[in-house]
Amino acid sequence: MSPPFSKSDRVNLSTAEVLLACGDLQGLNIMSEMFAGFGVHTPRRCQTLAECKAAVQERAINLIVVDSALADAEGYDFISWLRRSELDPNSFAPVILATGHTKPSQVFRGRDAGASFVVAKPAAPMVMMQRIIWLMNDQRKFVSSPGYCGPDRRVKALGPPVGMKGRRHDDLSVEVGLAKTPNLEQNEIDALFSPKAVAL
Amino acid sequence: MTSNVRVFAVENKLAQITREPGGRTIENAVRAAETRIESTRGASVAALVEKAEQMTALAAQGRAAGDPAVFDGIYDMSNAIFGIAGAFGLKALADAAFSLCDLADWFRGGEAANWPAIDVHVNGIRLLATLGDKAGAAGAESILEGLRRVRARVLPAT
Repeated sequence: MSPPFSKSDRVNLSTAEVLLACGDLQGLNIMSEMFAGFGVHTPRRCQTLAECKAAVQERAINLIVVDSALADAEGYDFISWLRRSELDPNSFAPVILATGHTKPSQVFRGRDAGASFVVAKPAAPMVMMQRIIWLMNDQRKFVSSPGYCGPDRRVKALGPPVGMKGRRHDDLSVEVGLAKTPNLEQNEIDALFSPKAVAL
Repeated sequence: MTSNVRVFAVENKLAQITREPGGRTIENAVRAAETRIESTRGASVAALVEKAEQMTALAAQGRAAGDPAVFDGIYDMSNAIFGIAGAFGLKALADAAFSLCDLADWFRGGEAANWPAIDVHVNGIRLLATLGDKAGAAGAESILEGLRRVRARVLPAT
């Protein structure tokens, strides 16, 4: 799931606006310490749905980490609301949903609420960092429809299942057409990989 | 594709910001996060004991009142204990809390409440939270084994 990265790669979260939400104060403190270690300065901390809603209406947020249990609601409620809030750019912000007691139905519920990623607790700092790096490389499009609003739920770009017609307008057919131009010769292929000096 | 479905690209602002010069290496960032979390161990363990006590009181109230809504509260508190215990490697306590989440979730779904099963879990969690590392591996495993048997009797096999 995570793209390959080196531990010596750098991540700069010092100017990122991060919203951390968890209904349990101690859980929120642990989350805050983790992101402080990552270099995040003064994240917006929320415990209730109302605080979360207020925070995303105040300023642009670059990353949201929300626990499935808020003090007065569920994290899913906030994500669903956010995705349909039309608060540009926050309604498109990457959202990591952290779940404690996790059943498959809760993972699906988080996904269908519009979470970019669902992380099961206990989420070690390395796991959370891997997810952040994955989101840095996330190129999924955003889907807005009556039944769903959020990042494209199809993470893999492998096309439609074999034997089925794709539903995307840009899905390609599995049938490969006949070549329209002659194949490249081996020396032409080699030339594509050979560095050559050019006059600029 | 119907006309009220829109699929569009969005700017990945997180990618732009995190790739700006400066910041920390992933190794240092993760290490710093681990150190900072560890620095809250004392307060977190104290919070676990407090939550276990609150949960005991909540369960007693719920049993006396026969109110199934109490399982929402027990579930939330047990879920919080699971998250905190897991963050500090208190595996036995996390497992016990997870098991109670299973039970509370089952009973709040409309199944007839089995209070002895809840009580055994609440007491086990309180004991594990209070003893902390002093429970020892063998003691913790013995408590967990008891909870597993209770859980297996109450919940359908998965």
